[in-house]
Amino acid sequence: MKLSLTVNGRQESLDVEVGTSLLHVLREQLGLTGTKEGCAEGECGACTVLRDGKPIDSCIMAAHACEQSEITTIEVIGDSPDHPSELQNCLVESGGIQCGFCTPGFVMVLTALLKVNAAPTDAEIKHALAGNICRCTGYAQIIEAVIATAKTHQ
Amino acid sequence: MKIVGEKYARSDGVVKVRGEALYTTDLQFPGMLFGAIFRSPVAAGRILHLDISAAENSPGVHKIITASDAPRHRHGLVVDDEQIFTSSDITYAGEPIAAIAATSLAEALAALKKIRIEIDEITPIVDLHEAIDPKCRLIHQGWKDFGAPEELFRSNNIVGQMVYDDGDVDKILNGSDFVIENEFVAGRQYQAYMEPKGVVASYENGRFTVHVSHQFPFNVRDRLAKALGIKSSAIRVVGHHIGGGFGGKLDLGIEPFACVLAKSTGRPVKLIQSRAEDMATCPVRENAIIHLRTGVNRDGQIIATDMDVIMDAGAAAGDTPYLSSIPLFLAGAPYKSGRTRVRCRVVYTNTPSTGAFRGVSGTYINFAVERQMDEIAKVIGMDRRQLRLKNLLHDGDCFLNGQVLSDASILDEAFALVESRAPWTTTGKGKLRGVGIAAAVWLTNPLPGSATMKLNEDGTLGLITAATENGSGAVAMGLRQIAAQEFGLEPDDVLISMPDTDVAGYDAGSQGSRTTHVVGRAIQEASIELRSKIISVAAEVLEALPGDIEIVDGQVGVAGVPASRIPLSSIAIAAKSMAGPLVATGSYRTPAPEYNHQCATGLLFTTFPTLTYHVHLAEVEVDPATGNTTVLRYIVAQEVGKVVNPDGVRGQIQGGVAQGLGYVLYENLDIGTDGKYRQKTLEAYRLPIAGDIPEVEIMLLEHPDLAGPHGVRGVAEPPIVPVAAAIANAISDAIGAPLNTIPVRPIDVLDGIRWAQEVHPDRQV
Repeated sequence: MKLSLTVNGRQESLDVEVGTSLLHVLREQLGLTGTKEGCAEGECGACTVLRDGKPIDSCIMAAHACEQSEITTIEVIGDSPDHPSELQNCLVESGGIQCGFCTPGFVMVLTALLKVNAAPTDAEIKHALAGNICRCTGYAQIIEAVIATAKTHQ
Repeated sequence: MKIVGEKYARSDGVVKVRGEALYTTDLQFPGMLFGAIFRSPVAAGRILHLDISAAENSPGVHKIITASDAPRHRHGLVVDDEQIFTSSDITYAGEPIAAIAATSLAEALAALKKIRIEIDEITPIVDLHEAIDPKCRLIHQGWKDFGAPEELFRSNNIVGQMVYDDGDVDKILNGSDFVIENEFVAGRQYQAYMEPKGVVASYENGRFTVHVSHQFPFNVRDRLAKALGIKSSAIRVVGHHIGGGFGGKLDLGIEPFACVLAKSTGRPVKLIQSRAEDMATCPVRENAIIHLRTGVNRDGQIIATDMDVIMDAGAAAGDTPYLSSIPLFLAGAPYKSGRTRVRCRVVYTNTPSTGAFRGVSGTYINFAVERQMDEIAKVIGMDRRQLRLKNLLHDGDCFLNGQVLSDASILDEAFALVESRAPWTTTGKGKLRGVGIAAAVWLTNPLPGSATMKLNEDGTLGLITAATENGSGAVAMGLRQIAAQEFGLEPDDVLISMPDTDVAGYDAGSQGSRTTHVVGRAIQEASIELRSKIISVAAEVLEALPGDIEIVDGQVGVAGVPASRIPLSSIAIAAKSMAGPLVATGSYRTPAPEYNHQCATGLLFTTFPTLTYHVHLAEVEVDPATGNTTVLRYIVAQEVGKVVNPDGVRGQIQGGVAQGLGYVLYENLDIGTDGKYRQKTLEAYRLPIAGDIPEVEIMLLEHPDLAGPHGVRGVAEPPIVPVAAAIANAISDAIGAPLNTIPVRPIDVLDGIRWAQEVHPDRQV
């Protein structure tokens, strides 16, 4: 079944089986492997992408429910490979990255958060991260990175 | 230039934050097929009939392999109790029976559903007391024929036992002023690495190439060789970024299935576990029962200890026979145990096998010892902290194996540091608030590693090692900074290869915080040789005596003559027309400390080398309506030897505490009477999220280890060890009731509150 959507600013027209997840389309059909599958049940948040600017779990989102949507993935966050976004730089600087498998999902959620709330509080950051699991860091250095990012914008 | 000890961003930070880092699950190869495993739906029984004909004709299927056309060698890490596929006896739910390779994953999964199986099902044995009974049905009928070290003292369902006995323990217990007796129970904890296990294997020219995200590629190679019945040089294991491991990716996993499918189809085969499959089948931290009797004098001195531990191996031993030695070390540390007896038995059950998870059995043995300290204090009417200080080990004291702890008085310093941050008598006060304290002594894994270093022609340094970066930063921060320091280079000028068993020397994997200590030392050994080669070339180029040459900040010159300095790149280029390219290697293994070889039977894990010391304090508040616990403050004092990168050390402690908090408050794989876990998804298995974890207040001690590079001791593993004890002690303090089971669930807290009100009706809760 045909599917038309915009992925990272490019119009894509694909033949996608009914019931296929958006994550599968991104990873297997479009080769965008930056978005990760951690659980395939919408629990861990590693597969987070933006649909029309809002974070969603792409693993439990039916691809066809995204008809005509605008999807943004980790691959286009930051200006170029040599110029990550401020948030990405702060995550690297703060030590908020360990194994890195959850990291793209965190970047997507936090990018969306910072867009609507340029200076989130500790509690607001934790609330935004309720759907994202990081098993390595214990979260403190990730939260610090968000606060550091907000400071650079002030 | 000072590099070791400074903040430098990790080398893989940018590729990870941009989603460019490739994990095994991201790999694609031309002609690649997708694999799936057909597993036993029941936990115990015998296969009567297996029919794969419908599945073989399913669209897209290239090959289905069963026991009849796969190698059938018995293999295992310690005990040869595993086989690639079972053909008759089923010992746990999820035991592999067949594997499929198909053009797509969807087709492989569709074919899986068409396999028909008939099983003569029997009631699984899941209870430890039942399994350990000599009259119990055998989990493995053929256990006597399994290859295994004799010193395991196996019998029936017991796959390993360690016994230590000072003698007269009962007599001394009976003669002590107080005998405190408690049973502690710990559940299973899932590593929950964010990347489920996966592998891509191919077969060409008589050799396997196996792509993994694994903590220990050389173990994959050697274990595969045994499982497949081929020599290890016929296998090349290539490591990629690892989406977390925490011990769960140290032993052989699903690699054999991808290998047999790749060989039989002639195509690369990708096999990635679903989260549900990973949770249901992979070795997790074992459940255990600890029975502890302690004899104490009126003044608080511990004079006798009797510890009996039963660990659940599940259906295969894995590395649990090693873990049976851990209670020996923790029964007598960090507190003197008096006259002591320790017995630990590892038992087969019809459940998925268990295995390494950060802190291994230390987590729950420490829980038992430290909970017991609180219970002792209560019975004898002594302050809990005072009781600990009174019995604490000091310089020159020994583990029960006779190994001397030359610097155990660091524990006193750690207690004092915690006291300076959170005074004992004023912390955790208030209604339903409590404070808990716990200490630990831990080791740095001594197993061998190596490093090859080369001076590149542009003056950068190449570092070739099979040490794995599991996320901890041990390679991406630690080794990189240690190597850079040796030559005064920027860390960005050190380029580190990914692990590859064809390329690098042997490395024992990212386990027990060993990488920075052991491989860091190997780098220093290699650097001695590389520096000497650089100096001999430089002496010729600069027309000076080798003894007068110095290497400073990435340059080479005559000592005392800064104007003579030339860049390292010119030495590398000059070397090509002189002695040849500049390459050097170094190896290291921590020497084993002396110990009493006759101290115990069944001791596979004989010493605790390169010690670290830990004191943790938790302050909690309990909600009497829900039984939920909030950790208000968490304080860690930890001996690290020397900080290589402050962000890295902090990340390991914060992350280790988070995993410990999950262990004691939320996480548990409950085993049903059907031998399966009740928690089948990450939603049911409650992992800590950002809102659950307080910012850990960290205080570091830096007493250098004489053998470690720059004094480094292991950092990453032990921060999880005392967490369950510290938090459970704090909750017990808050509600006035003992909590002797991991996890401490809200229902346990509510029961505890009710119990405390019945026992002490006058106590305000």
